[in-house]
Amino acid sequence: MYDFYITLRSVTMGQKGRDALNRAGLSCRLLRAPREIAPEGCAYALSLRRRDGDRARTILDQSGVRAAGCFLRRQDGSYVRLEP
Amino acid sequence: MIYLDNAATSLRKPPQVYGAVQEALARCANPGRGGHAAAARAEETVYRTRSLAADYFGLEPEQVCFTANATEGLNIALGSLVRPGDRVVLSGLEHNAVTRTLIGLGAELFPVSAPIFDKEKWAEAFAEALKPGTAACVCLHASNVFGAVLPVERIGEICAERMIPFVVDASQSAGLLPVLPKQWRAAYTAMPGHKGLLGPQGTGLLLCLDQPLPLRFGGTGSSSLDQQMPQDLPDRLEAGTLNVPGISGLGASLRWLRQQDGTSMLRKERKLLETAVRRLRSMGVRIWDGPNQIGVLSFRLPKLDVETAAALYAKAGVALRAGLHCAPFAHRTAGTLPEGTLRMSLSVLTEQKEIEGFLTATKGLLK
Repeated sequence: MYDFYITLRSVTMGQKGRDALNRAGLSCRLLRAPREIAPEGCAYALSLRRRDGDRARTILDQSGVRAAGCFLRRQDGSYVRLEP
Repeated sequence: MIYLDNAATSLRKPPQVYGAVQEALARCANPGRGGHAAAARAEETVYRTRSLAADYFGLEPEQVCFTANATEGLNIALGSLVRPGDRVVLSGLEHNAVTRTLIGLGAELFPVSAPIFDKEKWAEAFAEALKPGTAACVCLHASNVFGAVLPVERIGEICAERMIPFVVDASQSAGLLPVLPKQWRAAYTAMPGHKGLLGPQGTGLLLCLDQPLPLRFGGTGSSSLDQQMPQDLPDRLEAGTLNVPGISGLGASLRWLRQQDGTSMLRKERKLLETAVRRLRSMGVRIWDGPNQIGVLSFRLPKLDVETAAALYAKAGVALRAGLHCAPFAHRTAGTLPEGTLRMSLSVLTEQKEIEGFLTATKGLLK
């Protein structure tokens, strides 16, 4: 279940991040960020499995992809922001 | 037609370019503006080209910004660095894309002069002119009038030592010579997509190692509530709808270029140039040639002004250019004002038979 969300400020960063994760063997999806986790309007997010979250953050960091935020989607559909 | 006006734009493209433009026109919507399939296709098309360019020039994808042409890139670069009254050092070979922009910005221009084909002398002249307090240094990689290659790596070193931001105009070299912004320590490197990179017109790249000021303001498909332009590249420079068909075509030409052997391409162009130089000289034609020259050659025919000569060439089926080539500074440096020169310019797709046709036409004009 893809319930871990990493938001990014541009589609380019999202694409760069997606490629970096895919190269590292992590499966993810690039999508327009749900409104609840993109209060600044129009953002992109990488969604992936919760268990891959920490590794993904490290890979993105090493690839120069700055995340705007990280979120977990709860079963009720709400999101909780994770500390950096 | 024998096409030898590639310094203005390459007319012949790799076949894949045409298909890529058509495909994007038919299937791509607005990148970064929707979650639907056609928008996603456009985003991927744009990103593929951006990544290819980044790889080609040794940068990260976000350091590659799409522009409409090299002029727009130079406007962004210089507009980010120069304020009214600033001292700017530039080569005396620069194009109006640089000089008009600097004058429009109210800069004080310090053009540097040297024998056109002498790299050492150019480097010395820049070293002399780059005094403390210089706001920026601008230099083309290769002249659009004479084909002379300037020592941008050395000039970049001098600029770095003196903490002066360096801007390179790679309009004539990109696609032919290695363009290495990191090695040159160039804050900005601008180029068109439609000349040596063999992409469609209406495309250009600005390679950014620095944080530029936007030239255009507007929607980017990101951080929409914020009324300031985004800080992050490339969005900071890419307000408004991108030229997706053009970018798609540029992606196809970059892929094609990556498959070629750069050294062979350069050798082939050099050989064609040498043939033209040797035969023109034997006909008594005045030519401007030298070492460190790419396939751009200025010349004049005896007893014919350059505009009349270009018209006669066109009548004979040979496309080349006459006049100042939008570079009056270069002609002042070379002493070729006010008439300018005839210019033949090659591309990596120029063939030997075209040079033969041009030389035959020249012989006819000299009769």
